[in-house]
Amino acid sequence: MRTAILPLILAVAAGPLTGRQAAAIQQRPGAEKVPAAESAGKAVTPARAIEAQDSGKVHLSKAAVDSLTELVSRFRRDPEAAPLPPTDQIAMGGRSIPAGTEVAGPIAVAGGPLHVFGTVNGDAIAVGSDVIVHPGARITGNAVSALGTVTLLGGTVNGEIRQLAGALGAVPQASEVVESPARSTRHALALTSSWLIILVLMAIGVLLFAGDYLDGVVDSLEGRFGRSFWAGIATQLALAPVLALLIVALAVTILGILLIPFAIVAFVLAVAGLITLGFLAIARITGESVAPTASKRYSARGAALRALVVGVSIYMGLWVLASAFAWAPIVETVLRGIAVAITWVATTAGLGAAVLSRGGTRRSLPAAPLAAVNDIPWQTPTPVTGVVAARRPTPSSSTKR
Amino acid sequence: MNRRASRAFAHAMAASLAASTAAAQSWRTLDVARQLKDSSAASVQIVYGTGKIGVRATSNPLLYHMQLRYDATRALPRHAFDTTARKLQIGVQKSDVRFTGRSEREDAHLQLELSRSAPLDLDMDLGAVESDLDLTGLRVSRLRVESGASDGKLRFDSLNAARMSMLEISLGAASFRGDRLANANARDIRVDAGVGNVELDMGGEWTQDIELRVDVTLGVVTIHVPSDVGVRVSLQKTLASFDHESLVERDGAWVSRNWDSAPHKLRVTAKTVFGKLAIDRTGR
Repeated sequence: MRTAILPLILAVAAGPLTGRQAAAIQQRPGAEKVPAAESAGKAVTPARAIEAQDSGKVHLSKAAVDSLTELVSRFRRDPEAAPLPPTDQIAMGGRSIPAGTEVAGPIAVAGGPLHVFGTVNGDAIAVGSDVIVHPGARITGNAVSALGTVTLLGGTVNGEIRQLAGALGAVPQASEVVESPARSTRHALALTSSWLIILVLMAIGVLLFAGDYLDGVVDSLEGRFGRSFWAGIATQLALAPVLALLIVALAVTILGILLIPFAIVAFVLAVAGLITLGFLAIARITGESVAPTASKRYSARGAALRALVVGVSIYMGLWVLASAFAWAPIVETVLRGIAVAITWVATTAGLGAAVLSRGGTRRSLPAAPLAAVNDIPWQTPTPVTGVVAARRPTPSSSTKR
Repeated sequence: MNRRASRAFAHAMAASLAASTAAAQSWRTLDVARQLKDSSAASVQIVYGTGKIGVRATSNPLLYHMQLRYDATRALPRHAFDTTARKLQIGVQKSDVRFTGRSEREDAHLQLELSRSAPLDLDMDLGAVESDLDLTGLRVSRLRVESGASDGKLRFDSLNAARMSMLEISLGAASFRGDRLANANARDIRVDAGVGNVELDMGGEWTQDIELRVDVTLGVVTIHVPSDVGVRVSLQKTLASFDHESLVERDGAWVSRNWDSAPHKLRVTAKTVFGKLAIDRTGR
């Protein structure tokens, strides 16, 4: 049960707060804890008496002090932190406020418990350790513990009892926050796989309901790839000016002004349709070239569908591959860059072909076929009509001879 | 791949992984409480936008105790108590909603425990949350719950020790269930729902007659009434249905057969458009 229990901890192990003993407590911070529900409501007798006298200084190694100083520095930047005294006034390793004494707050410790037997006029703060409020103790401000607990053994806290856990320090900007590698990879894979499925479904829809237009774009692309690519670039550059012109032209009349929102939507839809048609056309060509259809296994539509699915899978496969490396940002960036470049070239050429073929309605004229060579006239100097021509040798006649 | 290439690849992987994990953590847990000094009345304003919220009574000598787990980049905790006005503002100050595909509802939560001895004026402003409001054992003098798109439960398992002046529930698009609402000890209950499914169990200890006003635009409202309580329903409906089995029409309203003799009465004034109102008197 996530009961809300303020995890008040009875620091049973705490002895007289000499430096050595405080260090011993620090080594066993979780020893013999009891839940708050049991300790908060009634007076709790510690298993061992705690001497209500000030402790000597705890001697910590330089590395430990540096580490605690860094922790204190992070706590200062935390939005939920209470104001701390200067770092040289923070008791590293713990401190005790003896019974009968009254000190001005804020009182802060780091890396060791803050035992309060007397009165703190202000906040009592423990960073990376606990605040223990003993019977008869009084804190007029807040009792705050970062990465530790506040234990009430019978004293009073006039302010708030606050415990912070989890990340400590300044709140990172949203842009700095990333998901865990595994989670972001799953997320990226799910997203790209969804797009792959959507595009395959769109391909099937286009093939069923707009197959002729797709054929038109494919013809245009096959016949004039280079021209299609440059037309695609020109189209991309012209999109914004054309939209602006359209709006200006409509704004001339009152009726036109009313139509502007519809015109913008129609324009966007038309462009999206052309891009999709072009992309599917180039995907089909790619699919046909990468996995040619075995001669009579598929019908024409079946072969086209197969080519489309293969082509779409190839292009989207690049994105899926990049997503699979979301846990490794450098590799992912490289792969994604490659995917962007290839997709852009393909889409640009497809868009150009779609524009050149007027959305697949105008097929590129096939090259004029060579005149059929009629070989009979070559076998006779005279017109064929009405003249008995020399008999053309056939295999059977040759055999007879 | 030769050894040098393998090593380079391994280094690239390690660098990538390190770069991805070095970013700051955003999830934090804040635990705040305040000792109970006396049992004077207090007003509590709870604001919570996204996640799960639970409210219940505490048996510890605390005025309040909140455990909040939140994403610090999206939410800013709120915990302020004005000792003079005895007004507590608690919850989350801002809550950005982002569609990241992550199950934020499972991550973010707020658990609030309130004193059993201080009379409380509760005002809850909830967004898209899953709420479990177990007010059993609290002394609630007034309750207002406003919720957007949510899945909410409100429960009074024992009689509210304070007489409640008003119980007001305002829901947007929500599924809401109120259990043993007679224990709320409220004379006036108002439920205003936009779209959703509202279920009100009027069971519990009846100490007075209750006026229940229900306004639902699109949805189903089911009111469960104990069989020994008299019911009178005045209904204004537009393209809505009314399930009034066991009620008879009298003076332009629908009343239960025990209306005249019942020790306690529930007067329902309902307004619904495209909805359904059902009265269940099976005595649950």
